[in-house]
Amino acid sequence: MNYQYRKAPNPTEFSVFTGLGTAALDLKTLARDVPCQAACPAKTDVPAYIALISRGENEAAYRVNQEDNVFPGVLGRVCTKPCEAACRYAWTNAEGPVQICHLKRSAADRLKTPPTPLPPWFQETGRRVAVVGGGPAGLTAARELRRYGHRVTLFEREDHLGGMMVDGIPSFRLPLPTIEQEIKLITDSGIDVRLGSDVDRSGLAKLLESYDAVCVATGTMKAKSLDLPGIDGAEVIPGLRFMKQYNAGVVKSMKGDVVVIGGGFTAVDCARSCARAARRIVGADDRVTIAYRRTEHHMAAEMDELEEIRLENIDVRTLVTPVKAKVENGSLRSVVFQRNVMGDDGSDAGKPRIVPIPGSEFELPCSHLIVAIGQDAETEILPEGIALADRQQTAEPKLFVTGDFLTGSLDVIHAVADGKSVADEIDRFLVGEVRKKFHVSIELIDNDGETGRFRDHDLQEAPAMPLRSIVERAVGNAEVEKGLSDEATRVASSRCYLCNHKFEINQDSCIHCDWCIDVAPRDCIKKVSRLFVDEVGSPREYVQTDVAAEATYIYIDSDNCIRCGKCLRVCPTGAITMRKMERTACCSTKNAAGEVRWERLTARLDERKAARGRT
Amino acid sequence: MQRRLQFLRRSEDEDIKDAGLVLDFDEMARKGVMSKEEKNVAKWYGIYASRQPGNHMARIVIPGGVLTSTQARNIAKVSEKFAMGKLNITTRTSIQLHWLKLGSLADIMRALADEGSTTRHGCGDVTRNVTACPLAETCRYRRFNVLPFAQRTARRLGDSHDLDNLPRKFKISYSGCGAGCAQPFINCVGAIAVGGREGSEEPRGFKVVIGGGMGATPFIAKELFSFVPAERMVDLTRAIALLFRDHGDRFNRSKARLKYVVERYGIERCREIVIENLRAEGVSTEGFVVEGFREADASYPDRPLAEEDTVGTDGSVTLRIMVPKGEMGHRQLKRVAELSEIYGDQRVRTTNRQNLELHGIPKENAEEVKREIRKIGLGTTGFYGLRDIVPCVGTTYCPKAVSETRALYDLLQPLVAQPKYAGIEKAAVINITGCPNSCSPYRIADIGFRGSRIREELGSTEGYEVTLGGTPERLGEVFGEFKRDDCPGVVEKILDTFIALRSEAESLSDCVLRVGAEPFKKAVYE
Ligand SMILES: Cc1cc2nc3c(=O)[nH]c(=O)nc-3n(C[C@H](O)[C@H](O)[C@H](O)COP(=O)(O)OP(=O)(O)OC[C@H]3O[C@@H](n4cnc5c(N)ncnc54)[C@H](O)[C@@H]3O)c2cc1C
Ligand code: HEM
Ligand code: SF4
Ligand code: SF4
Ligand code: SF4
Ligand code: SF4
Ligand code: SF4
Repeated sequence: MNYQYRKAPNPTEFSVFTGLGTAALDLKTLARDVPCQAACPAKTDVPAYIALISRGENEAAYRVNQEDNVFPGVLGRVCTKPCEAACRYAWTNAEGPVQICHLKRSAADRLKTPPTPLPPWFQETGRRVAVVGGGPAGLTAARELRRYGHRVTLFEREDHLGGMMVDGIPSFRLPLPTIEQEIKLITDSGIDVRLGSDVDRSGLAKLLESYDAVCVATGTMKAKSLDLPGIDGAEVIPGLRFMKQYNAGVVKSMKGDVVVIGGGFTAVDCARSCARAARRIVGADDRVTIAYRRTEHHMAAEMDELEEIRLENIDVRTLVTPVKAKVENGSLRSVVFQRNVMGDDGSDAGKPRIVPIPGSEFELPCSHLIVAIGQDAETEILPEGIALADRQQTAEPKLFVTGDFLTGSLDVIHAVADGKSVADEIDRFLVGEVRKKFHVSIELIDNDGETGRFRDHDLQEAPAMPLRSIVERAVGNAEVEKGLSDEATRVASSRCYLCNHKFEINQDSCIHCDWCIDVAPRDCIKKVSRLFVDEVGSPREYVQTDVAAEATYIYIDSDNCIRCGKCLRVCPTGAITMRKMERTACCSTKNAAGEVRWERLTARLDERKAARGRT
Repeated sequence: MQRRLQFLRRSEDEDIKDAGLVLDFDEMARKGVMSKEEKNVAKWYGIYASRQPGNHMARIVIPGGVLTSTQARNIAKVSEKFAMGKLNITTRTSIQLHWLKLGSLADIMRALADEGSTTRHGCGDVTRNVTACPLAETCRYRRFNVLPFAQRTARRLGDSHDLDNLPRKFKISYSGCGAGCAQPFINCVGAIAVGGREGSEEPRGFKVVIGGGMGATPFIAKELFSFVPAERMVDLTRAIALLFRDHGDRFNRSKARLKYVVERYGIERCREIVIENLRAEGVSTEGFVVEGFREADASYPDRPLAEEDTVGTDGSVTLRIMVPKGEMGHRQLKRVAELSEIYGDQRVRTTNRQNLELHGIPKENAEEVKREIRKIGLGTTGFYGLRDIVPCVGTTYCPKAVSETRALYDLLQPLVAQPKYAGIEKAAVINITGCPNSCSPYRIADIGFRGSRIREELGSTEGYEVTLGGTPERLGEVFGEFKRDDCPGVVEKILDTFIALRSEAESLSDCVLRVGAEPFKKAVYE
């Protein structure tokens, strides 16, 4: 008799059981299972560094961040944290997401040994690359190009590096020493920095002649102007200029009411800086008002920052559009606004539509008007006939663009991510092949499903960020957020589920006893009759059933898995495994037969280091 | 308030146990519900969930498997009143009542207590029912009567409140000789009587093995002492329980049993700890022999339980009563109790093959009693043989079950009853268990079945993992996985092959040990 029964295939979400997963499936699984990492533009290995922090290994945690997002101390303060919006915690826990961003800062603030520049990946190539603009995008590109073995010269117009991290973001949100330290880690890796070099179109042309490649990362420096009847523009202070002056310490004190128009980072920072410059925070009479045409939900600031703003005695008026300004005796008297209502549908350049309310005009008296409604790239720098497109490589093959300059004003983490990818592009252009690629290393952890933490850790309260009191804020530029305490860091870091651990059922061992389903804390394990996978083999949908005979699979839906390990411990057949995945930079080697093999770059570096140690 | 995170490496059950192990069943009856915590603690009272929602199971503890006829009658009465008249004998000589309603649990316990029966410690992380080989008192192979030891151990450990919260269940069995009819090698503690036969000068004692157990990962127990003086045997069980209490895993309940302590520590370290525990309680280890104790006459039979109508040391007959599937009705138990009063020693014994026994029947009454037994529908032949199939309750009652073990029982009975197997009737036993817990210890049967579901191209169907070649001291090897309806065909092929290959009177397991599983696989798969 033939008792070799025909069975539905045994699906798995990795291409290999352990080792280096180089298939598309592996990256897809990683992205699905570790949503915070997938949401981070720079693909920061969040669970890896949070696990290190919870073990008190701050140096190693810093290193993970340094590798992935270049500016841990900076981003630990000002990141827009798309990761937290994606965190699995935010799906299932009313306490909110893991404080990914603040934890990054916790590690950066607690280093006992100072960090060092990252080692290069490849030998010197002798190729020369010019990077124009020393903001986060340019700095990141420079660092990565250097690690590829190219010689990098960085041209910066100002007398300091950092771009908007220094000139834009005020130091009560991001202290200067933090930025400077992290910039030094980049320049110390051997980058030729030319400060005070204003590169214009002809300058760029020269660079294109003398370098093998040129990367423009000059950000968005041109303030959008506001056409207000009644004034000629002289009375209007562009927000960016104001922030630059404030950060340079040349704004002394301000008398009279201030109106700031806009809803982005710049508008909010301008208002908060004015409040300090005018010593308005502690209740001087003059008023600082932000006026924005949509609602608070559409502002760059988050709700808790808006709360802080109000505490700092700043008024926030929303759904208002300026229609004219009134000037008397050469000085500004007031701005007239019209009120808006949200449109039911439609969108206006990606943002919801607003509808003006006829006859709703009102007047807001003020002596200063700051306009911060956005910035554009100074595209005049580009050679004749070359325009910005949505690619980093321009029509001039040697010329690359990146950061805000390419994408329009975004944020630091996008600038970093873009700086990394432009470096990959440039390297491919210079060398003619892809030398570095990300794969997923997959490791079996055979320890009864212990991720290093326990179910009780899930049930902790999220600690709040301690803030400086209003009185303290009024003096100088002291940082408002004080950083999480040791205890809060411990709690915050031990909350993370460590989603880089994947629980999977080997269908060939499963006997459908359902014991795992009985002990599970969530609807994470399903009886499934059909499982639909996409073209790379990644599960997309399934049809659930309650009837034993209809159940083809007992299936762990990773989306709902909080990595408690209970199913693994109860499974009587050992069908459930826990594997740890890690996004890993790899380089390829060809063997004699011409087959490509991928190996971990870090392993290669360790080998090199060991070799150096021996000689 | 932030959560207390002191004892993280513990299962949730440990917190529940810490909160106390006493319940008020009358209050639960009044509320009409059992909380999760109460359900957990109810196990200490022998109360467990049943597959049918709203119903409960109670496990009556029967140390050594001996009930007085009064107790048996009382249990039958309780069953009639509260359990739809059904009774299930278990493989550890307890009796289970199913179909119990929450509101009557307290009354059931009180009614059982009327005649000195209890469900206390029927389940839970405690010393479970202490078993003894069924013929302990009168077996002609026995070294000495181990029943009193089983009963004293049950009393002593049950009364030790410092042993109320063990990491998991703790199982002890006593066998009267090396034949090990009480399955010493699959218990946490297996005590095997050595030396000291009636009239001999040899000292009486036990060989002690620990760390056996079935469940998802079966272990055969390892020898702790090759000789322990009989008078300190009960103290030793306590010292072993302390080893378990203090060193068992309280985080992962599936790896909590003593077998894992022995696996992790090794038998030497376990022995050291046990000796320390004995000393700490002032028990001398003088006379303990670690290895190499030899009995003057070390002989014992191979499958003594296969013998029918055995005659005991007192000249009376032991009659076995075959209870199909281990389940009977209250009238049947009542009649058996009556028969023990009329003809026997006023006791009813439960066996680990889910059958009953009557002891002390005068030879001349044996046939008559058998007729009486057959009149109530129970069997009187086929013990410890092909027809003595032991299924656990499976999906009939058990919430953990994957398969309908009793359906397979019904499929196999007509097959094994065929005349062609008369010659090998006593050469193989079959156990069927509905899930890896192995309530019917399938790995120690000649042919074992463990329920599973087999994936199909769409959906799944009931099936069994089949093991071959187990004996009480040796685990059967996995033979294959088959859909339920294919199982009779597989058994037939295995038995036919056995007949063809059998040498002299060997058992199926010995045959498999001798020739390997290959010829059987060939027969089945070709
Ligand atoms: C007030 C303000 C607050 C912000 N707050 C946040 C925040 O909280 N979180 C966040 O994530 N993002 C914030 N941003 C946005 C963020 O700072 C930028 O998106 C990011 O810095 C863009 O990086 P970049 O490298 O592309 O450009 P930039 O940072 O703008 O850097 C461009 C660099 O190029 C130099 N440069 C320009 N032209 C030339 C030239 N012709 N020759 C040589 N050098 C030149 C500039 O001096 C500058 O150093 C804020 C921005 C502003 C203005
Ligand atoms: C309501 C139904 C039952 C439930 C829920 C149940 C539950 C369990 C569980 C959870 C185990 C596993 C123990 C371990 O992990 O080691 C187990 C083992 C065992 N059960 Fe049951 N059981 C039930 C009925 C029975 C019946 C009817 C019998 C006897 C006929 C029985 C006899 C045993 C035995 C002998 C073991 C021990 C196996 C070993 O040595 O590890 N059980 N049972
Ligand atoms: S729980 Fe941790 S690993 Fe999971 S998504 Fe949130 S931060 Fe990332
Ligand atoms: S860099 Fe920003 S987006 Fe990325 S992980 Fe950190 S906080 Fe999140
Ligand atoms: S580890 Fe298992 S039981 Fe726990 S959440 Fe994940 S799938 Fe569910
Ligand atoms: S516990 Fe294990 S065998 Fe049972 S259904 Fe879950 S994965 Fe399958
Ligand atoms: S043969 Fe079996 S029943 Fe008899 S004494 Fe030995 S173990 Fe007990």
